[in-house]
Amino acid sequence: MPEKVNIKKIVQATVDKLVTLGFDDHSILAERSNTSQIRFADNQITIVKNWASLELAVFAVKDNKTVVIQLENLSDDIINSSLESLKILANSLPPNQNYLGISDGPFSYPTIDNMFDSEFLDFHDKALDNVQAAINAAEAEGAKRSAGVLLWEAKENKLVSSKGAVASENTSRFEFSIRSFVDAKSSGASVEVGRLSSKVDFERAGMEAGKIAKMSIGGQNGKPGKYNVVLSPKVAADIVAASPGAANPFMVEIGLSWLKDKIGENIAPEFVTVYDDALLPNGLGSRSFDEEGHPTGRNIIVENGILKGFIHNTSTARKAGTTSTGNAGLVMPQNSNIYFEPGEHSFEEILEISKDKPTLYITNNWYTRFTSYADGIFSTIPRDGMFLIENGQISKPVRELRISDNMNTIFKNIKALGKDIKQIKSWEVATPTYIPHVLLEDINISSATS
Amino acid sequence: MPTDPYDLVEKAIDEGQKLEADYIEARLVSTNANTSILKNGVPELGGIIRSKGIGIRVLKDGGVGFASFNEMTKDEMNIAVAFATKMAEASGKRREKKILFSEEDIHEAKFQAIGKSGKRPLEVNPEEKINRLMDIDKLLAELKTDAIIPFRFFQMNDQTIEKYILTNEGAKIESEIDLIQLFGIIVAVNPTTGSKEQLMVQKGKAGGFESLDYWNIEDYLVKEATTLGKIVTESKEAPTGTIDYVVGPNVIGIMCHENTGHPSEADRILGREGAQAGESYLNEEMIGEKIGSEHVTIIDDPTLEGSYGYYLYDDEGVKASPRYLHRKGVFDEMLHNRESAAFMGTNSTAAARAIGFNREPIPRMANTYLEPGNFEFDELIEDVKLGVLMHNFTEWNIDDRRYQSKYVGLEAYLIENGEVKHLVRRPVVETTTPKLWGSVDAVAKKDLLEFDAATCGKGDPMQGAPVYHGGSFMRIRNVEVR
Repeated sequence: MPEKVNIKKIVQATVDKLVTLGFDDHSILAERSNTSQIRFADNQITIVKNWASLELAVFAVKDNKTVVIQLENLSDDIINSSLESLKILANSLPPNQNYLGISDGPFSYPTIDNMFDSEFLDFHDKALDNVQAAINAAEAEGAKRSAGVLLWEAKENKLVSSKGAVASENTSRFEFSIRSFVDAKSSGASVEVGRLSSKVDFERAGMEAGKIAKMSIGGQNGKPGKYNVVLSPKVAADIVAASPGAANPFMVEIGLSWLKDKIGENIAPEFVTVYDDALLPNGLGSRSFDEEGHPTGRNIIVENGILKGFIHNTSTARKAGTTSTGNAGLVMPQNSNIYFEPGEHSFEEILEISKDKPTLYITNNWYTRFTSYADGIFSTIPRDGMFLIENGQISKPVRELRISDNMNTIFKNIKALGKDIKQIKSWEVATPTYIPHVLLEDINISSATS
Repeated sequence: MPTDPYDLVEKAIDEGQKLEADYIEARLVSTNANTSILKNGVPELGGIIRSKGIGIRVLKDGGVGFASFNEMTKDEMNIAVAFATKMAEASGKRREKKILFSEEDIHEAKFQAIGKSGKRPLEVNPEEKINRLMDIDKLLAELKTDAIIPFRFFQMNDQTIEKYILTNEGAKIESEIDLIQLFGIIVAVNPTTGSKEQLMVQKGKAGGFESLDYWNIEDYLVKEATTLGKIVTESKEAPTGTIDYVVGPNVIGIMCHENTGHPSEADRILGREGAQAGESYLNEEMIGEKIGSEHVTIIDDPTLEGSYGYYLYDDEGVKASPRYLHRKGVFDEMLHNRESAAFMGTNSTAAARAIGFNREPIPRMANTYLEPGNFEFDELIEDVKLGVLMHNFTEWNIDDRRYQSKYVGLEAYLIENGEVKHLVRRPVVETTTPKLWGSVDAVAKKDLLEFDAATCGKGDPMQGAPVYHGGSFMRIRNVEVR
């Protein structure tokens, strides 16, 4: 076996050095991970990668001055010299009035099922075949070529804090995305993600991508105007889940959230309930402790359409007169998994609900950008199959349209939620999100003028 | 036992040759970075980042494998080389169309772009850095305008990146680059109406803290924040119909980057980024085809001194020079690494960049700009009957074939009968790439050429590359605005 740096020793040495240097509070997170990735394009493997990584992240406080260090260079002398530099940095800063402490331990932590795949090591030998199975499934549906990525990772971490937190976790993750083409403009995409390989259905993803690609053949440029839009879980995870994702006090304070002063307000229809849920089995954002070592949990963000609260670390919570939700990141509160309570409708019923209005079905999107975060004004571009819905049925493919609207409107105008909830994490969606198909009413669609 | 990382790079090449790799490259990257974050005047965080690792890339039997590690032991190196070689073989055997790398001249070279003495990232006291940020924030907080500026966020990053690249072909490239970056969010609010406008600031440059003075950063931010205040209190509705646009360096830059730089990346054209950043409306057969008017020459030049995207040799050891993506409106060159170049039977254009030791080198932009023309600024304005002068932008996006783009103006003025008049709010250009470049009928002189810094996103895992983009001013005729 190759020699490895001992994580426990590194963490202890870091604690000892921080105490010697006179820091008051600290939280130390060490992570060792082994990540592999297969990328493919034009139905062929383009590269296979592996990253072996050891990282140390330290949040430390001295006289209310807050500093962090991230090390991917873990020789003893670098750790020592970096922590000494951290003391110089802390001494040079004015106090941070926003720092109100880290969470007091010791703690007991929740147990979350399905966080590590016991067959992880066996997956290495199956990876290429799984990719091939997805490509074949797309081809069987009519795709000419597919591109995509499979990533799989095992990680162990250990955290200690000056307030008595001691925690560790072993996790795995699998992320697969595929985009299939019949021609340059006729394409479809799908993702499959989870912490267990058995929960990742490669063939299903290939079939979906291939099927959408084939359905989008011959699409014509769509017309701008007001539409009802049916969003796939992939699109909904980006633009519908953006609102619960904006329930973050740090983002509010820097003008990057449209939810300032809206706690208690009705921001969605009554049937919309959303959690930040760190305890979901198989959830890519699931974790038993946050970066202060505070235990995680299930926190309601939107209940029956009403914005109930924000995610918090200890400092933002104390400032707001509440308690930590267990969402501390190194710098600011971070979502775990965003979870939408499913609705009651099948996909077909959603199309039927919208049969009396001009309706688009959008299967994928990218490039969401804001004119004003504080007001929620944005646009995003559908990519891959997009379809006109007529008489409650998918009638024909359309292209070259853009959603140009407001995040407040998007969330307020949710007309129906599907019952087909799916976990999404993708190139466009950084926060793991559980969300079904979503029907939005009266959304502004624009297009290029020529 | 930890081993000297330079020795590990050399031993990795030997190990790869023992395993009969057709090509092996080992890249040691050491990054020392510092950050300061100020939120509404409060020093939220000081940060230190130290990273050192080695990335190994192998070509064998028509496949490519990559592995990286940051525990500097011989065991880790051996595992990485063995993995990259084995995976290259395994994937190559499955490929019908084998991957090759283009033949290129081999170089041994050193280059650097570092800050002035005493101003390099590690030489400047952290107190000086945070005090400078706090002074900037105070200027904005106390600014006398009709608007208020309640949201102010600044992050100043500096870093020194050292690279040591070896290949089994004999390439040996050493480099040392200092980069400084200032990122900011400023939101102005009309206290009467509640109307808001945001400015995202990104300044970046190769060099040290002398860059802050080069940018006249205090004057720049005060001017921008003052304008932001005027936009929320004074601006009027933007005109619609068929109008002309005169756009400035910031807008030209993003258009060059999005509408031309990205679709000229050869890996996108080959479909290699299909599932992430997308493909391209351009293809190999379109080389020589007219895309824009004769006024449109778009250059990507990594060798611009002091630029945010500066390098002299790329991460495959190929010597860099300016790439003419569009020459007088014609699609002329692509951004190639050695893999894409071999697929198209041509040579690399030295566009291979990897952001970090644990990333693969892929075709990227560096510093992309519209070549200045012969017009004075006043000449661009004087024969516009109805139009908009757009200095900078807020929202933008473009489809993943880089054909249909949207740019929303921030500081923008009405042009009427050849005169620049009042501020207008959020004018929109939503048009296709050929229509955009085909409608350019005049470009201003070189003395108005400016660059902005940006972080370009591409790859999986994401690789955020420092780039410049810019231009002088250009006029776009007959843009239909709904």
